[in-house]
Amino acid sequence: MKIVEFKNVSKTYTNGDHILKALDDVSLEIEKGKLIVVLGPSGAGKSTLLNLLGGLDSPTSGKIIVDGKDISSLTKNELAEYRANKVGFIFQFYNLIPTLTVLENISLVNEISHNHLDTKKMIDEVGLLDHINNFPAELSGGEQQRVSIARALAKNPQIILCDEPTGALDSETGVMILKLLSKMCKGSELSDDKKTVIIVTHNQNIAKIADAVIRVKNGRIKSYEIQDKPLSVEEVEW
Amino acid sequence: MLFRKTFRTIRLYLAQFISMIVMTAIGIGVFVGFNMEWYSIERNTNKFFDETGFADYRVFDEIGFSSDDLEKIKNIDGVDDATRFLSVNTTVKGTEKVLALAVSENIDVSGFVLIGDGEEYNADSEDGIWLSKQYADKNNIKLGDTITVVYKEIEISGKVLGLIKSGEFLICLPDETQLMPDFNTYGFAYISPKMLKRTLGFEYYPQINISSNLDKKKMSEKIDNVFEKTMVILSNDENVSYVQTQGEIEEGKTMASVLPVLFLAIAILTMVTTMHRLAINEKTQIGILKALGFKDKKIIAHYTSFSILIGVFGTLFGIIIGYLMGYLIMNPNGTLGIYFDMPEWKLYVPFFTWIILILINALLIVIGYLSVKSMLKGSASDALRPYTPKKMKAMAIEKTKLWSKLNFGVKWNMRDIMRHKARSFMTLFGILGCTILIIASLGMKDTMNDFVDIFYEGAINYETRINVSETATNEETKELASKYEGDYAGSTTVKINDQTIGLEIYNITHNRVKFIDRNMKFFELGDNGVYVCERIAKKLNIKVGDKLVFLPYGTNKSYEIIVEDIIRTLSETIIMSEKYAEKIGYDYHINLVFTNQKNIEANKNIVNTQSKSSIIKSFDTFMGLMNLMVLLLIVAALVLGAIVLYNLGVMSFMERYREMSTLKVVGFKDSKIGSLLISQNLWLTIVGIIIGVPTGVFLLKYMIEKLASEYEMKPTVNILTYILTIWLIILLSFVISLFISKKSKKIDMVESLKGID
Repeated sequence: MKIVEFKNVSKTYTNGDHILKALDDVSLEIEKGKLIVVLGPSGAGKSTLLNLLGGLDSPTSGKIIVDGKDISSLTKNELAEYRANKVGFIFQFYNLIPTLTVLENISLVNEISHNHLDTKKMIDEVGLLDHINNFPAELSGGEQQRVSIARALAKNPQIILCDEPTGALDSETGVMILKLLSKMCKGSELSDDKKTVIIVTHNQNIAKIADAVIRVKNGRIKSYEIQDKPLSVEEVEW
Repeated sequence: MLFRKTFRTIRLYLAQFISMIVMTAIGIGVFVGFNMEWYSIERNTNKFFDETGFADYRVFDEIGFSSDDLEKIKNIDGVDDATRFLSVNTTVKGTEKVLALAVSENIDVSGFVLIGDGEEYNADSEDGIWLSKQYADKNNIKLGDTITVVYKEIEISGKVLGLIKSGEFLICLPDETQLMPDFNTYGFAYISPKMLKRTLGFEYYPQINISSNLDKKKMSEKIDNVFEKTMVILSNDENVSYVQTQGEIEEGKTMASVLPVLFLAIAILTMVTTMHRLAINEKTQIGILKALGFKDKKIIAHYTSFSILIGVFGTLFGIIIGYLMGYLIMNPNGTLGIYFDMPEWKLYVPFFTWIILILINALLIVIGYLSVKSMLKGSASDALRPYTPKKMKAMAIEKTKLWSKLNFGVKWNMRDIMRHKARSFMTLFGILGCTILIIASLGMKDTMNDFVDIFYEGAINYETRINVSETATNEETKELASKYEGDYAGSTTVKINDQTIGLEIYNITHNRVKFIDRNMKFFELGDNGVYVCERIAKKLNIKVGDKLVFLPYGTNKSYEIIVEDIIRTLSETIIMSEKYAEKIGYDYHINLVFTNQKNIEANKNIVNTQSKSSIIKSFDTFMGLMNLMVLLLIVAALVLGAIVLYNLGVMSFMERYREMSTLKVVGFKDSKIGSLLISQNLWLTIVGIIIGVPTGVFLLKYMIEKLASEYEMKPTVNILTYILTIWLIILLSFVISLFISKKSKKIDMVESLKGID
């Protein structure tokens, strides 16, 4: 089943006289419940792809259809609604609210998501029950990233978007994070719904665990390669 | 190169720079302005008093003084100079206008200065009149015109030879019931002793004015010795021109110490937070400069230059504002111009003001220095690392069950307040200052309104006040009173504890005069004691139930009186009923009649009459001034509040930018983020109001206490004032935070989440 479809999507940034084509006539489809890795050198347009899909930005032209709905022409408020319910974000630098505790950082989505999950169970899921009342600054990088994953998952979204999720972590911690992410595609006890996980990275190794690998260069899709037998996280040499 | 960076950085933080300069300028402006006000009054009036030989003591005797009496006084050791003096209120013929006609035998004491052309004073002139310039201008009287005044059916006519101003008439009021001079209907004029003698046919001087440095007690003793009886001696402290001037100076000093402190404190505290913020934002740049090999000294100098610039520009504009303010108050057509009648209106700044300005600038430099210094600690690589805010500590409230029930927005805002204590405190302080200023100035207006309403609309329940001649008998005056259905009173001065105190005895049958107790309520005079006004009670330390002894002047008798109550009055006086006067056996002379009728027939016993409308007119001007002052203060307070709130709001917005873009990514709508920002400001506003309102009322009480030497007002704050203040502050805070929250739409999620570089 298709969950995401890009139809001739272009995104150009203008900066004075300078015009930058970040995405140039991109069309692609993504299946539900898959783990997708988007690879490419910096400036290739992979982050733009993620931002458009996440509703952080709108395309200059073309259509983006998510779960049967065109998001390319939504208003600001509709986009906020979309972000609150359909997608979860995980960033390289976690982007937690420093003045809120672990519990509070995760439970804040309860105010905006319609079918959010139980916060405490979410924390348990990422293994942070001991740190429930700690502030982000009191946690290690890996722990902070796990909070960020829990926050993304708590919204019970259909799509999880990850921008270099292991970029700021040592490899051991990175492996643990990837395990968590790949586990989500298979569905958890909390939500039997299978999540679609899209990871943007320039780490070739991560591509080995993906169901599909999209290579981006100069704003275009260079290749879209389905991997029938992806390796499990443990099998990859890090 | 660093020099160039200075300007680029200023451009980057332009809003903050401008607002800090504005605030410093307002603070310094108010400081310089008010200090200039009282100091200029002091210098100008002192000079004027010197030039016109303003007397230090005035000795009175209704019978009149002879030239021998004058010689006796002149021979007293410590008396520098003296003159026989006369000043009587006369009516200008054919009008209701009143001129105080003055004669000073020795013009060196209680004289005047000539303004413009005209003849110098000539003691031998037979028909020369030297007329108040203000009165002449308002009534279109020119040099050479003839004017005629009437005093007890005696007509005095003369030619205007010169236009003048006199220290004795610096504040030209016909009596103490009037608040403000009215140059159009009341003025003064001098004639020569020769002309006085020609008109009257004899010499009559009921007053000797003395210039001396002796203190009141010594002077009193010496004069009583010379005349071998108790004399009425008034020192400067009992002279309207002098007392009101001193009151104005005191008021200026109070204003100069209370208001600028508020403004400057806010300016400096904002400076502290903003400079700290700037240093944090520039921390990596500081690190880069350090890594490049710049010495700490140079970097410090570079960053300190910001506060120096703010200080220099703020001071410069502040001095300009101060001079403008000083000029607004201190010029012949300005606020004080309708009050003081004097020739010179130069602006002076007290020397200590300059020293304080230097200190303020030094303080600003220290603030700049300290904020950079903390960023420079350790090695270049330490400095290069971005600033990490202090760790969050749990607040007491978090341990309660209530906390878990609060929604995320409340928690977020609460923690943010605790995390950025300086910023939150400043916001609170700004609102506090704003609230205090607004409620105090509105309260001032309420108090004055109340005062005017009760005293002028209520207590003065007559249309006409008739001043009765000293030669009229009590029977004649009582007849006069019953003819006009009026009440009568005697107003005199007596000696209590070696001080000259006003005493008024009333016979009230028609309720033409009402009396006011300490709660601003009307009451009827009882017959079992006297009523002492607050000012006298304070001066002589009198309490209810005290026994006092008073000695009427010119006799050897003394009377014991009991203080029935302390009350509020317009003029400084002790009041008793006629029945109580009879009880203690005190014989007094009736010299006032109060009636509701307007047309009073001329009579040899009537010196002059005064209508209520002329009194009312004088305080209309006064209230107009008051309203203008209140409006100015409120505008200043709102501007100040708006600057502080906007400045800190932008700072808060910048500090929370990353957090807000995270919220936005997670799916919060712009409006929701905006309302989170607004609600934090509203909380601080409400706390500010809760603390500010009582503080403002307290300040009002303090200021009115300070003014109590002039008027006996009861601090009043109307419900409407409370509502208006709270409404204004909330509106201000809401509008400013709405402005800032609109910015949340412009948060660029993509840019801001890219990570820390």
